[in-house]
Amino acid sequence: MLKMQNVGKVYRTDLIETHALRDFSLEVAAGEFVAVTGPSGSGKTTFLNVTGLLETFETGQYLLDGSDVSRLSDDARSRLRNEKIGFIFQSFNLIPDLNIYDNVDVPLRYRRLKATDRHERISSALELVGLASRVKHMPSQLSGGQQQRVAIARAIAGDPAFLLADEPTGNLDSLMARQVMDLLEQINEMGTTIVLVTHDPELARRAHRNVHVVDGQISDLKMYESRAVGGAQTLGAARA
Amino acid sequence: MYSYYLRLALKSFRRTPGLTALMVGAIALGIAVCIMTMTVYHAMSGNPIWWKNDRLYAVTMDNWNPNQPEDPQHPDLPPPQLTFKDATYLLGSNIPERKVVMYARQSVLTGGVAERKPVPVTTRVTTGDFFAMFDVPFKYGSAWSASADQGATPVIVLNKEQNDKLFGGANSVGRTIRWDDREFRIVGVLDTWSPTPRFYDLNNGAFSEPDDVYIPLGWTRTLGQYPNGGNTNCWRPETVNTFADFLESDCVWVQMWVELPDKASRERMQALLEGYWAEQHKAGRFPRPRNNRLTDVGQWLKDRGVVQNDNRMLVGIAFAFLAVCLLNTVGILLAKFLNGAAIAGVRRALGASRRQIFIQHLIEVGVLATVSAVLGLALGALGLLGVHSLYVTNDVVDAVTNAQGGYQQLTHFDTVSVLWALMLAMVSALAAGLYPAWRIGRVSPAVYLKSQ
Amino acid sequence: MSFDIRPVASSLLRNRTGAVLVAFQIAIALAVLVNAVFIVHQRIEKMNRPTLIDDQNLFGIGVAEFTDRFNYDASVHEDLAYLRGIPGVVSASVTNSVPLGISGSATNVWTQPDSKGNRVQINYFSMDEQGLNTLGVRLLAGRNFRASEILPPVSASDYTKFVPQLIVTRSVAEQLFPHQNALGKTVYTSLGQPATLIGIIDNMIGTGWVGYEALDHVAIMPQLPRLYGFEYIVRTEPGRRNAIMRAVEEHLSTSNPNRVVKWVRSVEYFKNLLYRDDRNMQVFLITVTVLLLGIASLGIFGLATFNVSARTKQIGTRRAVGARRSDIVRYFMVENALITTTGIVVGCALALAIGYWLSLQYQLPRLDLYYLVGGVLALWMIGQLAAWQPARRASAISPSVATRTV
Repeated sequence: MLKMQNVGKVYRTDLIETHALRDFSLEVAAGEFVAVTGPSGSGKTTFLNVTGLLETFETGQYLLDGSDVSRLSDDARSRLRNEKIGFIFQSFNLIPDLNIYDNVDVPLRYRRLKATDRHERISSALELVGLASRVKHMPSQLSGGQQQRVAIARAIAGDPAFLLADEPTGNLDSLMARQVMDLLEQINEMGTTIVLVTHDPELARRAHRNVHVVDGQISDLKMYESRAVGGAQTLGAARA
Repeated sequence: MYSYYLRLALKSFRRTPGLTALMVGAIALGIAVCIMTMTVYHAMSGNPIWWKNDRLYAVTMDNWNPNQPEDPQHPDLPPPQLTFKDATYLLGSNIPERKVVMYARQSVLTGGVAERKPVPVTTRVTTGDFFAMFDVPFKYGSAWSASADQGATPVIVLNKEQNDKLFGGANSVGRTIRWDDREFRIVGVLDTWSPTPRFYDLNNGAFSEPDDVYIPLGWTRTLGQYPNGGNTNCWRPETVNTFADFLESDCVWVQMWVELPDKASRERMQALLEGYWAEQHKAGRFPRPRNNRLTDVGQWLKDRGVVQNDNRMLVGIAFAFLAVCLLNTVGILLAKFLNGAAIAGVRRALGASRRQIFIQHLIEVGVLATVSAVLGLALGALGLLGVHSLYVTNDVVDAVTNAQGGYQQLTHFDTVSVLWALMLAMVSALAAGLYPAWRIGRVSPAVYLKSQ
Repeated sequence: MSFDIRPVASSLLRNRTGAVLVAFQIAIALAVLVNAVFIVHQRIEKMNRPTLIDDQNLFGIGVAEFTDRFNYDASVHEDLAYLRGIPGVVSASVTNSVPLGISGSATNVWTQPDSKGNRVQINYFSMDEQGLNTLGVRLLAGRNFRASEILPPVSASDYTKFVPQLIVTRSVAEQLFPHQNALGKTVYTSLGQPATLIGIIDNMIGTGWVGYEALDHVAIMPQLPRLYGFEYIVRTEPGRRNAIMRAVEEHLSTSNPNRVVKWVRSVEYFKNLLYRDDRNMQVFLITVTVLLLGIASLGIFGLATFNVSARTKQIGTRRAVGARRSDIVRYFMVENALITTTGIVVGCALALAIGYWLSLQYQLPRLDLYYLVGGVLALWMIGQLAAWQPARRASAISPSVATRTV
């Protein structure tokens, strides 16, 4: 499904060169539920952006569902994002001026689907996340958890190859967080690949597999486990 | 607290210098355009002797053809001038505090530096009350006395420009000068005076300059010459074989104004007119319906159509322009304020009341308003200089083309108009900012703090 | 694709204050543009109206007698002889006033005595037999005056006497005797004096400055002017006017001590003076309209820019879920188009309303629809152009904005 080999990304400003991703290699099989963890500054966000085709990278290779994305034009990458990836953001990123229906509709519009086709997809997506009755409401009228579920509906409405979730419960209380994670698990059980980026080990535990990123590279899994035992403080510090 | 708000305002301007410049520039421009057109409009149609509007009256009687009015386009108005006969009779009344009967002539002066080469001038042949009635300022000397009005007294008053030209601006009172080859003694020299419009005699256009020289009315019979400087209209078939016949005829060619200090004297004057009319009507004159009027200057200008359509249109367009500039500013301010709503939300969370947020932003609007107002005033003044240059040609020595002289008034920017302009600027700019400031004041902190 | 409009519209409606303000600016701009162009065009047509005299090669000389020793006949004879003798002068005449000038004389004539029948107010020019040739106006029918028919000036003893013959413009003839041959017919003054129409000339423009009823209601009178002043009018060969004017002023100023030269001016000068207000009006209208359009487009640009920056997160999100750069551009252009169209629709109504009001108030013709169509197209283009750059900038926002949590 997703194959990254020796991917490197450099941010260059006038004075500083930051290697956000170094020799990054990762493979995700179809149907997997992978959690990518790491402290802040570890390159999680860069990984997210690169995997989600939101940013380009300098070195290495990235095959997404069989296609090599390295030399694609911006238009082609947009199309790939539209058809293959479903995004779920930490701050939901719903469009405040549009109602729920229109929000879920946004990515479908860019696919130039027929109105009936779109309507069907939106309805079933909202059914799945349990918000079909709130179709005409505005995002401001929903709680955080509900908003995130709408965002999930938006992500799955287009039948993507995989969901890319960035700290999806970061802005939610524990009850809503659990609801959202249950939903993601449910979606994964239905066959959708999920890549979840988080710093919360509780969340990471719900995935099939954990990948730990430190300083732009995948670090040893063993090291991670020993750290977890060694000191909650360290992790706490990393989280802060 | 206000100095704090002031600091915040200045910081806010610095944050978006381009948009701030656009707002200030747009309002300033709108105000400048309004100031320019309003000044021109005011200069062209305002009452130049407004402080005496309840005292000065034009005297008119409808002496014209019974079959049609003098001006078919304004059938209810009597002719703007009187016959010499009627004016002379009315001049004898002592009801008005002051009275003037006058007409204009084209003449030639020889004297002073123009000893060799005569200078063509316009002359006002008038009674001496003219100067006091119309508040005409004197630089040297004074008007002639009442007795000089009785006959052909060779006294003359020069205006400032003629005195400058002929005597280098020196005090020429007492010296002699030749007018149409007759010797006259100078008794007075006027100071700068150019009422716009030239309401007392609209014959040569409302914006012609006042006349160059003035001589007593008593010269009329002695000169024996037809008035070649104004407008002479005759309607009745009558035998006119001599100049004396002309003076007795029903041709209208003189202007008459009176100064009536109160309502009582006005009523008495009107009664005099009616009585005279009735008597003459019985004798076969005044065949048209009775239409004797005492018209104040404001109404006179309206009646005679001095306000030009063009100027009205320009004022309308100027205000449309200002409206667009203000709408522009409202939009920009609204966007700018609401864009900073998160910060306002933080302030509210930290304890600021709605009113304080509102005032903070109102101060910002106020600073904007002040700067635009001042800039607009400056631009407007500059613009008026430009407008003036559009009207004034290079030559000055031209009695016939004096018609554009009156536009001098356009660069006249007295304290009243400056204050008025400033007020317009401030009020409109503040009005533009009122709604955005109110909107940001109503922001509820929670919404903006919670969302992305 | 057209269904894309609905979500854009509903989003716009929820945040409509800014849009409404811009729409109003566009509406006012359209109304002003349409009416301003209309008025300017009117004025240009007015100023381009042919004078039908040789106005480029004519100049006038204002003179004044001022002593008792002045001999009118001798002076005028001498002056005209001098003027006619100058090489480069086609013709010269004496007149009561110069056409297009500031002063003029008018009187009423009727088709029947006792002020009955059709009436025309004629702006008359008292000239000698060389008058027509000097003016350069075309004789359409009838004949010019003969030298023997020119009357001496009106004097005190025959002050109200009228001339026995007149040459009038075609416009006067048609007004007095519609659908008839006016040649040879008689007209009467208010005092019942008759005058025969012996010639019909082209519709030349007379005195423009004074508020006479119609510019081309002109008549030529076979009489020397004097009582209310007299002037000379000279017609030169093309290109020689200015030099001859200078020479004439120099000579005539000193050639007669009893007569002073007040001014020497070309008819072109008077014509410019006559149309000065119209010209200034044009300058003002064009300037204000251009500024107005500038401010309105800056307003559109400003609003679009702000919308883009306020919706940065949203734009990033859209890009993240698959919008291409062109989709983002299209979104903002569509949104802008909605605002512009609304403004234009309101502006059309406003333009027509103002045009109608102007035509009533100031007796102007009604607004032609061509101006409206032109204005709509112009404002549409301006509206779209102004939003183009912000839309382009929006499309450059990176999709990675969506994952930022600042």
